[in-house]
Amino acid sequence: MLTDTTAAYGGYTKTGFGAQGGDDSGGFFAGGSQQGSQGGGGQKNFQDESLRPVTVKQILEADEAYSGADFKIDGQTVTQITAVGQVRSINPQPTNITIRIDDGTGTVEVKKFIDVDKQHEATNPGFEVDQHVRVFGRLKSFSGKRYVSAHLIRLITDPNEVNYHMLEATYVHLYFTKPQPGDNGGDGDGMFIDGGAGAGGMGGQSNSKLSGCSNLARRMHTYMNSASGGNEGVHLNNVVSGTGMSMNDVLKAAEELLGQGLIYTTVDDETWSILEY
Amino acid sequence: MSDQIEAPRVTARLLDNFIGRHVRIVGQVIELRGDQAVINSDGAVTILLNRDAHLSQNGGAQIIGKVNPDLSIKALNSVNLGDNVDYKLYGMVVEVTHKFPQIFLTGTSQ
Repeated sequence: MLTDTTAAYGGYTKTGFGAQGGDDSGGFFAGGSQQGSQGGGGQKNFQDESLRPVTVKQILEADEAYSGADFKIDGQTVTQITAVGQVRSINPQPTNITIRIDDGTGTVEVKKFIDVDKQHEATNPGFEVDQHVRVFGRLKSFSGKRYVSAHLIRLITDPNEVNYHMLEATYVHLYFTKPQPGDNGGDGDGMFIDGGAGAGGMGGQSNSKLSGCSNLARRMHTYMNSASGGNEGVHLNNVVSGTGMSMNDVLKAAEELLGQGLIYTTVDDETWSILEY
Repeated sequence: MSDQIEAPRVTARLLDNFIGRHVRIVGQVIELRGDQAVINSDGAVTILLNRDAHLSQNGGAQIIGKVNPDLSIKALNSVNLGDNVDYKLYGMVVEVTHKFPQIFLTGTSQ
């Protein structure tokens, strides 16, 4: 055996090696490119990994700049999505289960690959045609056809979850497409609004921070903002004389502001400084 | 039922805009008589049921069907949603469906 192989070494191994190498590298490249596009893409856009609630219509109309590009909805890259819909068809395959869901805005195919150790999922997925399901997964396209590659498909037992999802999808759509409340410029990227307001108008920023506070807390915060107490902050007595509030009111306001994380105590329990962030 | 039918969510008040079209409506079953039902979805709607309907009196129902000229609905598909249905929440979904058609209604662009 060994001698045979050795004898045939020149010719045999060469062709064998060449063919094998070809196979190998073919396999390697296929794997490699897939890994590259997924891994690389994932790494590059790691901050975009979020779970977005969408309607089927949004899935079907998501922008795909070129084949294999990240999908965008309302100009935002989407990776993971969640959708709800009524199951229209269930089609079990050897390796995956393919269903169509309809949420009243359109229908889309959802594919869920079956774990080897969970073969029963193929025969008994846990839902039936006409029932509502929630799907978690990634948006994919295959030769121009959109589908959702699902991590999880689960039955919806509370009919209100369907309506809840529709409102949530609307909320997120509006969040990305409409100017935000308190957005002074109105044209800016949401990310920069806070910083811009901080640099441009301190008042605007502290007002928005104080939106959930009582009048007393607002007065105290505004006073402390104008009275720079240095590193040590502002003492109770200074706040009382500066705002004209009673000592009791100041202590209550301080407690509220401390609770909100807007001020912090410095040298003692009756001296506070504004928490800048 | 074909896959590609778009059936926007509506309530009774919106039906006359959808005559001859498919809609999806959720309401409480207030009358159940043979192959007909009346549901309340911000107003009463007569549903002409198909044979495989399993609705229950006072329960919630989701009907997908075609709107007749007399504003009754010929059901193609009906689902019994049980007793725990928040109809006010459904009303809000209908409201946003028609207020923001760009994410809900086919044939409208963003």
